[in-house]
Amino acid sequence: MLRDDYIAIKNTSKHFGSVKAVDDITFDIAEAEFFSLLGASGCGKTTLLRMLAGFEQPTLGNIYIDGQPQAGVPPHQRPVNMVFQNYAIFPHLNVHKNIAYGMRKSGLTKAEVDRQVDEMLELIKLPGYGNRGAHQLSGGQRQRIALARALIKRPKVLLLDEPLGALDKKLREQMQLELRALQRDVGITFVFVTHDQEEAMTMSDRIAVMSMGKVLQIDSPTSLYEVPKVKEVADFIGTINFFEGSVKGKEGDATVLDVEGLGTVRSTSAGANAPTAGSTTVAIRPEKFNLTFQQPNIETNMVEGSIQAAAYLGDRSHYYVQVPGRDAPIAVAAQNAQRTMEAVDPDKHEKVWLTFDEDSALLLNN
Amino acid sequence: MTDTTEATPNKKKAMSMTAEAAAADERGSQDAGFVESKHAGHHWSGEAPMFIYAVWYLAFLYIPVMFLPLFSFNDSIYVAFPLKGFTLQWYGDMVDNPALLRALENSVKVGFGVAMASTFLGLFAAKAMTRYYMPGKGPITSFIMLPLVIPGIVLGIALLVISNTMGMDLSLWTIAAAHTLIGVPFAMLVMVSRLEGFDKNLEEASLDLGEGAFQTFMRITLPLAWPGILASVLLTFTISFDEFILAFFLAGNEVTLPIYIWSQLRFPNRLPMVLSLGACVLVFSFFIVTFSEVMRRRGVGPQSGAAI
Repeated sequence: MLRDDYIAIKNTSKHFGSVKAVDDITFDIAEAEFFSLLGASGCGKTTLLRMLAGFEQPTLGNIYIDGQPQAGVPPHQRPVNMVFQNYAIFPHLNVHKNIAYGMRKSGLTKAEVDRQVDEMLELIKLPGYGNRGAHQLSGGQRQRIALARALIKRPKVLLLDEPLGALDKKLREQMQLELRALQRDVGITFVFVTHDQEEAMTMSDRIAVMSMGKVLQIDSPTSLYEVPKVKEVADFIGTINFFEGSVKGKEGDATVLDVEGLGTVRSTSAGANAPTAGSTTVAIRPEKFNLTFQQPNIETNMVEGSIQAAAYLGDRSHYYVQVPGRDAPIAVAAQNAQRTMEAVDPDKHEKVWLTFDEDSALLLNN
Repeated sequence: MTDTTEATPNKKKAMSMTAEAAAADERGSQDAGFVESKHAGHHWSGEAPMFIYAVWYLAFLYIPVMFLPLFSFNDSIYVAFPLKGFTLQWYGDMVDNPALLRALENSVKVGFGVAMASTFLGLFAAKAMTRYYMPGKGPITSFIMLPLVIPGIVLGIALLVISNTMGMDLSLWTIAAAHTLIGVPFAMLVMVSRLEGFDKNLEEASLDLGEGAFQTFMRITLPLAWPGILASVLLTFTISFDEFILAFFLAGNEVTLPIYIWSQLRFPNRLPMVLSLGACVLVFSFFIVTFSEVMRRRGVGPQSGAAI
């Protein structure tokens, strides 16, 4: 039976002087979960990770790993291991000695350690690399060796501090999939820090979006994207259009609103804490709009506008559609499902109609 | 698999190659002795005055020093031109002089002790400075550096007063203590540049992998700081070996080499022998400092690890 509160962070704060790097955070991470801390730089995600590793002690609160309180426990006595952002491969040791570094106190014989190191080299697909010097390795190889060096310790939790940041795009995408597969293989809880939302969404079971030392929302990638609970999360994950609106009333499941630029809008996606009266923010993802060049035969959730700018990206196109009553154009993304050689000329300001489903219009608190 | 880190050394190589090419270019244009290309023309019009200034500057600095070895081979007890002839007599006198050898032995003993003590203290001071957060770090650092800016004579008098007050007999120990005082800041500076040259994540990684602070120091910090430690030992040894003022104030019956040399200057016929001794010290110091500087610079930089 896997624990839901394998890592329990309880009312944890970290202050550096007057700066609250981590500000009263409470949440749990489940056993064998791939959990990401996502946020812009300075949001506190790395500080939180370093508190899990023991390099920083919480100013307030405590962290429990597998039920054990970690306050005051130094890094070398914690059941966690870390993969550093720059990998921190020991430059004076070869690959074998790097991987075996943490096994000195394991009580295993040298032959057994050697066997496990070879096993690790197999796991990270670098068999026979044991005698290589640290300076003979490429970035991707260093990253794998840092991983092996941590995993050979069989930690309860593996901490990863933006380990893919230094790799180029292709290699990074490959490593994302490999890391995810590896995590499923070994069944160890991964806590992954990143500022790259695509990376977090590709790999994670759940993501905590952080800002200014606070956790804004913890959810699965799908929920974060489709049901953001606050404006900042909606804005941080992907692209989204915000509209100012005011609630008119309820009609069955749907909330009826008067929205700037969109007219009357019916929404069935009111969040639990969305307002039932007064002003609110309506948020709609670009790809949730349906763009047509003929007037559709519906009344609500439809708006007429003109194309201001268009970008053809191959698989999809981005349009910026100007509508009356709203200053900023609406961002619309359309899949290029049909093959066409006709490009949209933005200078013609072609007349278009945008429609969207009732459950695509999210209501967010102001 | 594509590669990101290997690109950096390659780039460096490329840069150093262009630098070499530029240097060769410069040499070429100087050898030719006349303006050939636009590049060389720029070189002469813009940089020639600076080049001449640099030559004069170096000449001004080093020519007086070069008189030492020059006259040490001169077959005359008068240190004056014209030179009389070549002799190794003064070097022979030097080797046959037991008082001198005794002073040399004392200097080596003191220098060795100072090198060990300063480097030991300097290493830990540098570690504290670069790795830990502690209140009052700035003032503490300033206090460690202070002996560098206090005039030697003031420091010498002060230490003499302290020794007398504490009832300590003057000996090689007091000299060594005083030299350690000025050796520590040098050692610390050398070690700081070394410790800053490698990533502190390496030490954190060791802690993370289950080694305590002491084992981490032994297995990571020490091997990586080794060139810096060697540089510091050599540098502080040289500082102690050459130091005069503090040793002069704090010497008991046993003297160090600089004091011995100073005492011999009263006798005009001993001067050539002192010159030959000076020449030896000069060459010796030059090699030690050069070597220590090479060690200190070795592999300092973001890719530091790779070079060790």
